Amino acid sequence: MPPVRRTVRTVCPRNCYCSCGMLVTVEGGRIVRIEGDPKNPATGGHVCLKGLSYARRISTDQRILTPLRRTRGGTFERVAWEAALTDIAERLDRLRRELGPEAILYYEASGSHGALGRLAVAFWRQFGGCTLTYGDLCWPAGLEATRLTYGLNHHNHPRLTRRSRFILLWGHNPAETNVHQMRLILEAQEAGARVALIDPRATDTSDACNLHVKPRPGTDAALALGLARVIVDANLHDRAFLDRHAAGVEPFLERLREYPADRVAAITGIDAAAIRDLAREYAATKPALLIAGFGLQRHHRAGQTMRAVALLPALTGNVGVEGGGWQYANLASHVLRDPPLPPEPPAGRRAIPISRLGPAVREAVSPRIAGMWIEKGNPASQNPRSGVVKDAIRALDLVVAVDQFHTDTTALAHYVLPAKSMFEEEDLVTAYWHPYLQLRAKIFESPGEVKTETEIWRLLGDRFGFDTGCFPTDTRELLRTMLPGDGAALLEALAEGPVDPSGLGDVAFADGRFPTASGRVEFSSAEAARLWGVDPVPEYAALAEGHESPLAGRFPLQLLTCKTRERIHSQFGNLDWVRDVERPHVLDIHPDDARPRGLREGSRAAVWNERGRIEVTVRVDHGIRPGVVHILEGRCHQLDPEVNLLTGAGVTDMNHGATFYECLVEVARA
Amino acid sequence: MTGAGFMIDLNRCVGCGACVLACRLENSWGSGNPWRRVLPLNLRRHPGGPTYFLSVACHHCEEPACLKACPSAAYEKRADGIVVHRDERCLGCRYCEMACPFGAPRFDPALAIVTKCDFCRSRVNRGERPACVAACPTEALRERAPEPPGGGRASVPGFVDPAGCRPSIRFGVPRSGRRAALLAAAEEALAAAGRRRAARGDV
Repeated sequence: MPPVRRTVRTVCPRNCYCSCGMLVTVEGGRIVRIEGDPKNPATGGHVCLKGLSYARRISTDQRILTPLRRTRGGTFERVAWEAALTDIAERLDRLRRELGPEAILYYEASGSHGALGRLAVAFWRQFGGCTLTYGDLCWPAGLEATRLTYGLNHHNHPRLTRRSRFILLWGHNPAETNVHQMRLILEAQEAGARVALIDPRATDTSDACNLHVKPRPGTDAALALGLARVIVDANLHDRAFLDRHAAGVEPFLERLREYPADRVAAITGIDAAAIRDLAREYAATKPALLIAGFGLQRHHRAGQTMRAVALLPALTGNVGVEGGGWQYANLASHVLRDPPLPPEPPAGRRAIPISRLGPAVREAVSPRIAGMWIEKGNPASQNPRSGVVKDAIRALDLVVAVDQFHTDTTALAHYVLPAKSMFEEEDLVTAYWHPYLQLRAKIFESPGEVKTETEIWRLLGDRFGFDTGCFPTDTRELLRTMLPGDGAALLEALAEGPVDPSGLGDVAFADGRFPTASGRVEFSSAEAARLWGVDPVPEYAALAEGHESPLAGRFPLQLLTCKTRERIHSQFGNLDWVRDVERPHVLDIHPDDARPRGLREGSRAAVWNERGRIEVTVRVDHGIRPGVVHILEGRCHQLDPEVNLLTGAGVTDMNHGATFYECLVEVARA
Repeated sequence: MTGAGFMIDLNRCVGCGACVLACRLENSWGSGNPWRRVLPLNLRRHPGGPTYFLSVACHHCEEPACLKACPSAAYEKRADGIVVHRDERCLGCRYCEMACPFGAPRFDPALAIVTKCDFCRSRVNRGERPACVAACPTEALRERAPEPPGGGRASVPGFVDPAGCRPSIRFGVPRSGRRAALLAAAEEALAAAGRRRAARGDV
């Protein structure tokens, strides 16, 4: 009899644009095939190399399968769940009694998306509270800028990309970070669309583009306002759209007087003629789609920058149009309700900014932070100022890290608890490029002694005498309660394929309704001024740590630490299947910057600033803008450079984001 | 199907590597002998030529050097064009590995034989597409269409047939963007170099 084969529909839960629908075929307890779910119209019948590598990820012997306790010698030893949880509970309780519940920092990051992650709150509320983090390392300034401008983070259905005649990619690299979107862009291009890119780097995306301009990092607001000025001067703005749907246009037009092309050219380092050409082509070709990435909002001026950029589609009447639009993030699938949770404790609530994790943990008083519980994250390598983060974690009395694999963070933990994989618990997964909510299937029982986080909270809660009814064994019933409307019916539909639960439709803002304060697209935002203390009209201001700052005298190169195809932050790079195909993490540097420093292809270079120093191998890159250097982020291997020793722990002007790309360095031969 | 071989559209390929992982999952090869590789060309982005990605495996040649070099008749060119390596006949002598100019057959130390891409013949026999083709997110990698009309070119800058193998791979050339412009420049440079060689009387 042939072995039983079964194919299960599930979804990739990584922090990625794609949230691919997947069909996983299992035979004899092994994954034998992974395909894209054709029922997901955005990702189609395909997944990326990371999705395919799951077959390796669940079979590798690197997986942590039992609780581990750090010994005095710094190595880890196996320990039984019973002993681990009893000791952890006693130590948590002692810290709570001696210092108060806020002495414990509960830290979660984006390592695995799923609604059940919210259950941790049920534990900490019963604990009497704890310290949490606020803000986000990735994208919050752009989200807030979009909300302030359009009222909502929604955008056109991905397939409508094919209808575009002009696609402007701004700080975005879909060939490496959203390959399904790149396919749609290439299809539009084959049908006659022109594709332009604004990015200081040459990337696998730039090779396919018809036009590429390379501004200095941090000058995008000036570029956006300069483009707007050219558009308005050439009378290429959509007056009818503005009359019907925009508010605050007059002060915006007034602001544009400050941004003639010559001044913008001096700020951005792009020829005035190229600025004029790009502006005219974008405004004159309809429909035009503007897709912004996250990179251009990773500095202090992030929110105002993103507001300036986000206004261009409205200025040109490309909003509410098939094939047009503003694409940043689509939160149409973010409709889940909280699970039933115990009430918030009256006291015992404190939060620290996630982008300042290291300094904030060290500086916390009354009480000091003495313990840390870390889930779905690897702050020791992934957060800015990772050297400070590591020192802060090392100084704690109790660190518990829950993970599937060893990381720079688990190395600092007193206890490492084995985390489930995406195949071992059913859950609901939202997306942020396409509008689909998807069901993650339970395909395997957890191997070894692995327990789901839900069960870890339940067992730990038992030791404290908490109400553990919050951590149910019937996952499906809990998921039903988190769905809007008729949860049972929606759950059934989700078992058959992805569902857009929003009712917002495929063309964002097609009805001309913008849920802002004015009900219109806000070119001037009193709310932005009130909430964030910024000018109501977006403006350019130089970065504190940018090309014009005094610090640039000593550290003249702007360091970008971008993402690429093989990893999601510090995930996947531990697998041989992935390492065999990935490009090495090198320093990309223009020949004009390499030559005077005596650097050649393959040289070892030292890269440093006042925060830290690392060594890395050089790749001479003719495509990167002179004055800019680049190293991939995402350290999950001892050989990867520790780039976040260099990055700064600043906070964006809006919504508490991180400032990874506001980072000056100098480079020399190591 | 006749003339089995791959067609890679260099306008569509973004070098994502999904084809390699799909091949590995389907065919279970180890780190030392990949059946498929993605070769990024001009990744330093010198303006003298295009940057593009060659996703390559066995080219299932019309005149396979591996087959000619094999002393144990382990290779067979099937009627449908697939060049099959019959593992049970392989001596592990590695003559084919030396003969193939494209590095397709590779010695697997664990098995002590040579292995290579077989165009996923078990999938193809079931009416499925090769794993790499099925996985390609941009649909850049396809089965080669029958010729004529077929389409695609037998050679692009960076790929030549040095040993008269007549590889069955075909290339779709970059049609737009920076890649297309630089391809034209590189081909002009190659043609000019050829004319200079001819003028000097070089072979």
